[in-house]
Amino acid sequence: MSRDTGAGPDPGRAPVAFGLRAVPRLFEELQQPGSGSRRRALASLCGLMLDPERLHQTVRGGFLEQLKVLLKDEDPSVRGETCKLLHLLSGHSVGREALLSSSLLPPLSQLLDDQSSSCRTNVHRVLNRLTLLPAGADALLSLVPKLMLKLKEEEEEEEVQVLLLSTLSCVSRLDALPALSSDGVSLVGHKLSHRSPNVRREAAAAMMALSVPEDGKRQVCEKAVLPVVVGLLQEEDVEIQANAAGVIMYTVIITAGKQQCLDLDVVPVLLRLLSNQRREEDEEAQRRRRRKALVVYTLRALTSLAEAPDGRRLLLEQLPLLERQSEATEEDQDIQRAAQTLVRAVTWTP
Amino acid sequence: MASASRSRRKPSGDCIFASRPRPVGTHGKYKEAPDKHVNIIYDRRIVRGNTFGQLVVPTTAQADPAEIQRQQEIKRKAIAIKRAQEQCRAKTPEALQGRKHIDVQTDLYLEELSNIIVATDIESQTDAFLDRPASPLFIPAKLFDFDREVQPVLEVLVGKTIEQSLLEVMEEEELACLMAQQRAFHELRNIHLAEVQHLQEKERRHREEKERRIAQQEEVLEKERETAEKIAARAYTKQDLADLVPAAFTSLRSNGYFDDPVETDVETDFLPWLMDEVNSKLERRFTARQLLDNIIHDVAQKRLEQFKEPET
Repeated sequence: MSRDTGAGPDPGRAPVAFGLRAVPRLFEELQQPGSGSRRRALASLCGLMLDPERLHQTVRGGFLEQLKVLLKDEDPSVRGETCKLLHLLSGHSVGREALLSSSLLPPLSQLLDDQSSSCRTNVHRVLNRLTLLPAGADALLSLVPKLMLKLKEEEEEEEVQVLLLSTLSCVSRLDALPALSSDGVSLVGHKLSHRSPNVRREAAAAMMALSVPEDGKRQVCEKAVLPVVVGLLQEEDVEIQANAAGVIMYTVIITAGKQQCLDLDVVPVLLRLLSNQRREEDEEAQRRRRRKALVVYTLRALTSLAEAPDGRRLLLEQLPLLERQSEATEEDQDIQRAAQTLVRAVTWTP
Repeated sequence: MASASRSRRKPSGDCIFASRPRPVGTHGKYKEAPDKHVNIIYDRRIVRGNTFGQLVVPTTAQADPAEIQRQQEIKRKAIAIKRAQEQCRAKTPEALQGRKHIDVQTDLYLEELSNIIVATDIESQTDAFLDRPASPLFIPAKLFDFDREVQPVLEVLVGKTIEQSLLEVMEEEELACLMAQQRAFHELRNIHLAEVQHLQEKERRHREEKERRIAQQEEVLEKERETAEKIAARAYTKQDLADLVPAAFTSLRSNGYFDDPVETDVETDFLPWLMDEVNSKLERRFTARQLLDNIIHDVAQKRLEQFKEPET
């Protein structure tokens, strides 16, 4: 199938050549310095990139290096269109790989400070899609300090913040140390109380990724982020709850975290979450899958809290409820195992 | 055994001749006088016209046996000369026992000798999925039915649009699938990672607790040992020192450091009193003697005076 629509009636697009010559010819046109013709050629290219064959041809033909010049063009709309083109390219795996192997990342990251906000948004979209590849997350590790600086600026719109936090959490899952050293905990903690639920969700996910290494846990305890996180546990959205439970799960592994969480009286909240789960058994499979993460994180957090004497006292009272969880009727293997571990931890005597 | 290449190459890639081409001249080998440069057409050595007649063997050729014999002799001689030449030409000696001769190119640049000629195929073809341009509408003298004619065009349009939109939807679905898979993986990873960390932490705490208890125990043992040693040392020293005091006293006493109370008493009380008494007794005696001396002196004086008086 060939999608060689000649863009006759649309004056905003350059005319497209026939067949396999379309892409090379448009790229030749891009090399000419006029910004109007460049814009039109870019618009046609964006239209063409929706076809996977053309995309493959672009990637394989090594035309990406020419885009580097365009990224430094003076006209902001040219830069924005180039970023949109890269966004379309990164929708496919070959595109992502080609983007990584070409040296387009440094000029792209410079565009993060661009004046036009649509350009910045598109750059963030590209970076977010890049994190779908583990090699992409690896390459973005060096960009983390810059992204943290971006996080500090308040006037970014919601979508940009969501994308930024999501990129940060993906990269931090790979290695959280760069983000931690750029004061990540306090910045992300600030976002936990944002007014938009999407931002809160992504911030909680990023916080969970940051609290995996030991240093992160200590910082979470020191910077008094836990009260906000416990507040997030009582929200409506399952994802936010799950992410918040994940943060708690990681933080209570160290003793300071246990102490703070017990002070904040988090055990009843977690138990209430568990009993909610029991009540809503007959949900559809997808929602149950999403709840599964929440349930297992909660169980793990309770297991850690059972190591502390206060926590164990509280949980011993609730032992029948927990034992019901670990019954054989529970379908999910992970939940069952986690519940059994919890029961074992609660009833452990030296 | 390299073949000498006749044509050398200029750096630009063109060939230069070893001997430049020249028009054929008519000088030289034959007895006729050399003419000027003649047009090649009028050269007597070139055959013009039909040459087929020359290939046919003339019918009279078989007649001459002497001619045939002479030709055969010539042939035999040629073969003999060739064979003799071959034998005279120096050949390389045969290889020694266990060795073998190989042909080697000794030129500066090795030539690849092969019978295979390098050939590349290039083909070009029109795009396989070209749209066939719509055939022009042929309107003979019939009426034009729009609905019927537009149907194939419509089918193509709609089909293509739907295909394209399906592709785009599939792309988005692919991305969403990828993200969902990543999310599921991360959830599982988080769960297990949390368990691993928790167990690690527990292990660390237990180990630290054990170490602390062991250290405490060791401290207690150490203290007990020290106490036992102190007690033993004290007992021993006590025993040792028990003898010390009498021995010290004895030695001091024997060295005369101690005052004998009787002696002291004697010294302090008795002797001064004795001395005093002695002093006083001696004083009395002295006084008595002095008195006596005085008396004697007085008596002597008086006697002297008495003596002197009567004289007068």
